[in-house]
Amino acid sequence: MSSLLFDVKDVTLRFGGVVSLNDVSLHQNRGEILAIIGPNGAGKTSLFNSLTGVYAPQEGTITFTNGQGKTMSIIGKKPFRVSVAGVARTFQASRMFGAMTTFENIKIGAESHRGLGAVGAMLKGPRTRRDEHHSDARTKELLAFVGLTDHANTIAASLNYGARRRLEIARGLATSPEVLLLDEPAAGTNPTEKLELVRLIRKVRDEMGVSILLIEHDMKLVMALAERLYVLNFGSVIAEGSPEEIRANPAVIEAYLGSVDTGVAEGTK
Amino acid sequence: MNGFIYAMVAIGYTMVYGVLRLINFAHSEIFMSGAFASFFLMKVLVGNSTPTAVESILYLIAGILIGGVVGAVVALGIERVAYRPLRRRHAPKLAYLISAIGASYFIYNFVGKEFGRINLSIDAPYTNNTVFTIFGASVQTYYIVIFVVGVIMLVSLERLVATSKLGRGIRAVAQDAETASLMGVNIDRTIAVTFMLGGFLGGVAGFLYSIPVGVVYTMGFTPAIKAFSAAVLGGIGNLRGAVLGGLLLGVVESFSVAFVNGAYIDVVAFVVLVLVLMFRPTGILGERLGRSA
Amino acid sequence: MKELWRNAHVKRIATIALIAAVVTIMTGPEGNGAEPTAGFTGSFASHVTFFGLFTAQRWLVALLMTVVVVVLTWSVRYVNRSWSDRTHFRGQAVQAMTSMIQGSKRRSKFKSTRYVFFAIGLVLAIGLPHVITDNSWQTQIVQQILVYVLLAIGLNVVTGFAGLLDLGFVAFYAIGAYTTAWVTGALPTPPPFHTHLNTFFAIPFAIALAMLCGVLIGLPTLRLRGDYLAIVTLGFGEIIYLFANNLFGITGGATGTNQIPFLSVHLGALKYQWGLNPVPYYYLTVGFVVLFLIIFSSLEHSRVGRAWVAIREDEVAAESLGINPLKYKVMAFAIGAASAGFAGVVTASQTLFVTPPTFTLQFSINILVLVIFGGMGSILGVVLGGLFIQIFVVYLEHSPPSGYNSQDLYMYLGALLVVMMIFRPAGLFPSRRRRREVNQIKAGTAPDALLTNIGPHSRVQEET
Repeated sequence: MSSLLFDVKDVTLRFGGVVSLNDVSLHQNRGEILAIIGPNGAGKTSLFNSLTGVYAPQEGTITFTNGQGKTMSIIGKKPFRVSVAGVARTFQASRMFGAMTTFENIKIGAESHRGLGAVGAMLKGPRTRRDEHHSDARTKELLAFVGLTDHANTIAASLNYGARRRLEIARGLATSPEVLLLDEPAAGTNPTEKLELVRLIRKVRDEMGVSILLIEHDMKLVMALAERLYVLNFGSVIAEGSPEEIRANPAVIEAYLGSVDTGVAEGTK
Repeated sequence: MNGFIYAMVAIGYTMVYGVLRLINFAHSEIFMSGAFASFFLMKVLVGNSTPTAVESILYLIAGILIGGVVGAVVALGIERVAYRPLRRRHAPKLAYLISAIGASYFIYNFVGKEFGRINLSIDAPYTNNTVFTIFGASVQTYYIVIFVVGVIMLVSLERLVATSKLGRGIRAVAQDAETASLMGVNIDRTIAVTFMLGGFLGGVAGFLYSIPVGVVYTMGFTPAIKAFSAAVLGGIGNLRGAVLGGLLLGVVESFSVAFVNGAYIDVVAFVVLVLVLMFRPTGILGERLGRSA
Repeated sequence: MKELWRNAHVKRIATIALIAAVVTIMTGPEGNGAEPTAGFTGSFASHVTFFGLFTAQRWLVALLMTVVVVVLTWSVRYVNRSWSDRTHFRGQAVQAMTSMIQGSKRRSKFKSTRYVFFAIGLVLAIGLPHVITDNSWQTQIVQQILVYVLLAIGLNVVTGFAGLLDLGFVAFYAIGAYTTAWVTGALPTPPPFHTHLNTFFAIPFAIALAMLCGVLIGLPTLRLRGDYLAIVTLGFGEIIYLFANNLFGITGGATGTNQIPFLSVHLGALKYQWGLNPVPYYYLTVGFVVLFLIIFSSLEHSRVGRAWVAIREDEVAAESLGINPLKYKVMAFAIGAASAGFAGVVTASQTLFVTPPTFTLQFSINILVLVIFGGMGSILGVVLGGLFIQIFVVYLEHSPPSGYNSQDLYMYLGALLVVMMIFRPAGLFPSRRRRREVNQIKAGTAPDALLTNIGPHSRVQEET
């Protein structure tokens, strides 16, 4: 199945005089685990922000096709509409609702797409109660899925890095997305947590059918996880392909020369 | 000519915003304090006499100095009591605003309690004559005074911020407080000085504003809101913007007198504010204090 | 000399002295423009009776009380710190042991204590008119206390739940009151459909009109950041005041109107006429306070309430989950406006007159103080805090201590705001979550969105 999920064509994003994304074209297929890599400042998070409606590129088009086959343009849409369309994301610096518990964090994700408004909420009618049971059940499922059941009532701010990442993933999954965008999920995690993360991400795709698009610096993680990669540098796509192809790509090696945890240079030996 | 008054007060807002990213709601009371201080001074100096030209100038200067100094002191006091403790506690933005509101209410009611709540007319340091007429509009002493003082103050402040070490410190903190402190800039002191500078101008503006209308403990509110609109209009955080915004607002108001019923004149500034915030929130000249010089 | 100034002890003593001096002057007699120093010298010279125990010079008493308060705060803090150090480790263990099932049980146990308090409060409220039988006092209780509490609960939805600082809240109160006057034919403008309606039917009109205004104001302005929103709402409040004061033909201008009929209900079998007796009004207002309590409480614990918390904590993250911030903010605004509009009906139909001077910025600030003092976001806190302050205010008006002028009230409220922000920003009875948020901020671990924002719009832009 190679139906298109994201289709980015000739996107250019500028901030004043700075060109953040320069004529970028890429696409993601449904069911893929796609990775975007590149040195710092290459524009990866800008790309994410463009894909989720936070930034609106001045040129180009971004289209997204959801599970029902409906295609829509992302540019110009507000982030919450993009989320409702089926795009979930995590943030580089974990943005949890710190004063709430883990359970509440995920529950908010689970109920955010449902329609009932204030009146229903105030009157606590049967439909509201049913919705809330549903959200509670789904939250419990997701807690078990990411392995955070023991921390359900912990205040989110006191979770460690690994747990935070998992919380953000669970919260994103609670919105029943088509695709989950992960912004440096392994940052700040130790090797054990990284392993867990790889397993979890694979589980998300395999068991939940959610496609994955991730930004990462940790090459070992990326090479182990990604089925296809794009390499960004200075806002442009400099390479695309499978992990093996990328590892051998001279332009990529050159872009990464001097960075510490590449593993790419090693791979070419 | 009210534009200059607005400009001077707007500077206070803009400077504090520049370094602290917050709107000093209590600035209205700085304005008022300066007016009261110079009111008392004028009472002592001028009394019931009619001053000669030379005396007028001296009285003016004295009034300006006192108004400005008291304004600066009150500003410093506000910073110390209402804002600094919040900075120490990493308070959210909302807390600063609420504290400012509280400080504002405390100050003006305190002044009202101690100095009476009725409007008191100021003993003018100069006699207000029509000096000359231009295009059929009579230019009175009042306007000339405001114009001259306004220009002097604004230009001096501009030079101060642009060239002096102090000014560089202020601009540095406005752009990036953390880096500035790493470079050896004393943040607390810079912030205090920023408040004082803004306060000085605000106090002087208060003095000048009150000469024709007198002082009353609630006088700060309306001009301050207008000055805030002016600051936003010109670009909050931008010094030149504050000046431009103030002057522009003054002009707009003068024109509106023809169309708008008297009681609603004050609404004009508010409408300007809402329009700016909706369509060009960074103001005419844009937002950065660092760019003003 | 400079070294002397830097010494911490000297600073402390100086601060205490300064506070005492300010308190002395604050509570002392007034001055006036002709004798500017009269207030100051008079304050220091005057004597005051310390709760009937002894009479001493005012400044002495102020100094004494300041020292006592400072010492008390120190000792409380000291006890707290050593206590929490010891229990910190235990606390973490307890948390680790709490499973999800236990958690829900814990929540319900907390709830039942609340119900008990609630029941006690209800009994007290029902019995009150039998205890305080003086009519004028009863009217005071309704107008000066209960209505304020009602408004505070409404503002709590806007400011406490959704985190929006609305300084023009009084405008919705005014709209409610004026709508009542309009609908019952008490304004120069004829009422809709040229029929004078029963005051009872003013309620839906007032609520609808207030909500409409809330939405209209909210849509363009709720995108703005906190401080800008505050100023804009303040301006709106002022504009409503200006309109009320000047549109003689529509609102009766500065004199307002005083021809509003009493509240009455004529719905088929249900007939009741309120009159001069304040007691029925008392019960009506208490009933509505309870109703709002229930409604807003269930709102707080619904997905709407959670969405508000999410927006308050981290709007960007909330939006990435599909929550439309504008929609929820406008919703909060409208709900707050509705409750204020309703309170306006109550006031108009009991006092029978509506005049502009009631609806000033000061009033909005007064309500804000109630919300902040009690605890933003905590309905119970707001009710308790509101009752506390308003009862105190009414008491001060009836038996003012020497040197207190009712106009000084806002001086004290202003000082209270500053003090609250510095020492207890979460309020006196904050909700659990709010206390957590405040502690987070104090510890410096709050997410950036709570602390910083650039520019008038509330969206935080991320770096590449």
